[in-house]
Amino acid sequence: MKQKKTTKITAFSFLVIMAILWVGPLLWALFTSFKSREEIQSVGFNFLPIHWTIGNYQELLFDNASTPIVKWFLNSLIISVCHVALVLVVASLAAYGYSRMKFKWRDTIFMCLLASMMFPGVVNLIPLYSVMDTLGWVNNLLAIIVPGAASVFNVFLIRQFAMGIPRALDESAKMDGANEFQIFIKVILPLIRPVLAVVALFSFTGSWNDFLWPSIIINDVEKLPITPGLQLLQGQYITYPGLGTAGALIALVPTFLLYLFAQKYFMQSMTLQAGIKE
Amino acid sequence: MSKNIARQRKLNLWPAFFVGPHILLFIVFFLFPSVYGIYIAFTEWNLFTSPEFVGLDNFKTILFDQESSFHDQFYNGLKNTFLFVVITVPFCIIVPLVLASALLAKPKLHRLFQSIFYLPSLFAISAVMIIWQFLLSLSYGPLNNYFDISTNMLNTQPYAWIALVVVTVWWSIGANMIIYLAALNGVSKDLMEAAELDGAGAVSRFFKISLPSIKYQILFTTVMTTIAQFNVYGQPLMLTGGGPTDSTRVLLMDIQQNAFGKGISIAGVSSAMAVMLGICIMIVSAFQFILLRDRD
Repeated sequence: MKQKKTTKITAFSFLVIMAILWVGPLLWALFTSFKSREEIQSVGFNFLPIHWTIGNYQELLFDNASTPIVKWFLNSLIISVCHVALVLVVASLAAYGYSRMKFKWRDTIFMCLLASMMFPGVVNLIPLYSVMDTLGWVNNLLAIIVPGAASVFNVFLIRQFAMGIPRALDESAKMDGANEFQIFIKVILPLIRPVLAVVALFSFTGSWNDFLWPSIIINDVEKLPITPGLQLLQGQYITYPGLGTAGALIALVPTFLLYLFAQKYFMQSMTLQAGIKE
Repeated sequence: MSKNIARQRKLNLWPAFFVGPHILLFIVFFLFPSVYGIYIAFTEWNLFTSPEFVGLDNFKTILFDQESSFHDQFYNGLKNTFLFVVITVPFCIIVPLVLASALLAKPKLHRLFQSIFYLPSLFAISAVMIIWQFLLSLSYGPLNNYFDISTNMLNTQPYAWIALVVVTVWWSIGANMIIYLAALNGVSKDLMEAAELDGAGAVSRFFKISLPSIKYQILFTTVMTTIAQFNVYGQPLMLTGGGPTDSTRVLLMDIQQNAFGKGISIAGVSSAMAVMLGICIMIVSAFQFILLRDRD
């Protein structure tokens, strides 16, 4: 019993030190974003602001044409929300097909899809630009919303989950004269909601945080999402930590809020991912 | 019965309705670009005109032509990418493993700690890099002020590398930590207690019981982390700018620049570089998989 207590105390002290290292940069950024430009220039480093000000946020949000952060934020919201909706529809339909229906080549097709996940994504980056050019989607938000819905991983996750639902449920619905679409909507969909929540959260954060691809396919500053937009912001305000950190923190708000409200699902999802092949 | 047969004979379009949309997206946005990406590695192409087949020329230039700047770019970029992977991956496995072990003891506030370590992995890379860039800068960060350091870390080696590794670990260990924590929670309590009664210390219990029990999760995370780190781009781009003197310039930065940077696109050569990076990733992950799996 005593030994357990010392273990707890050791673990606690270690975690406190690590937590300071993890939270420190974020807190410092938060405080810096409330310092005035003059204060930062004259005082140099100081953890807390001497005079708190929201001037950085005001300047960034309302008085700033070269880095339209409000526009970027809205673009990101549109992109992420549409992406999530598209992924949920496409992936859950496909997952139903691969888990509940019988058709020729079903397992072969699915194995090929799985095998494709081994293919390194870096190779299709350049031709994807060409595909977008052909579709007329360069500089169009669709170019960021749609391609991710081709992901096999989401289909795989939902299919694994759906496999656990007893067949008897579909059979009895079928007896009652329901067609496949009705079974999907009325029987399966309500039961796969937990895994859909996980897929939705990860699609949202993945899409919100996507950096390389949007920076390639969007050249128009007004159409950028916020994550690649911050690169411009960095260039613009390299000597103004107040504005830079304020911009960075604004970009973190949605994923942070999402985590606060859906912590449980984030934790579940990680174990779901790693536990699959067991 | 006869009704059943009739229904089967009729062409069933339901499967196409369900899997069709995904298959279509998969072909247009994954399969086609992947195959095309391999093809254009063998062509001269500027992204917009039709590609001209040049056989192995791009590969020859990149791999063997000492005169060509692509040759230098490729070897420098690949070397730095490998260096980044080799230094970062062990930390991205060991640090979250240690954190998970400490969390497992369930000390006070362990849920809060868990959230704190996990959170940065949900943050956009560009936001994280802006924060760290100011934090590590001489004029605004604490380094000069508290520790009296007067070298600019971000453009002096080896500090630039250290900075990249620290930032990457800070940013990306969350997922691995949660996976280890869940796995360690599943380790048999009876086995642990029996070992404790036999006088095995905490450290030897960790290496003899816990670690072997979560072998599969270690394997999974090692392969996934390695693949992720091979695609490193945002950290050197925004933190060191690839400097000092290209010593942290990674291959993906060159691939992006050659294909989409200023001036005429050199998409063919760039694709050849991407294909070779892809081959490296596949070889390394296959190698890890075999090596780690057979260690029974």
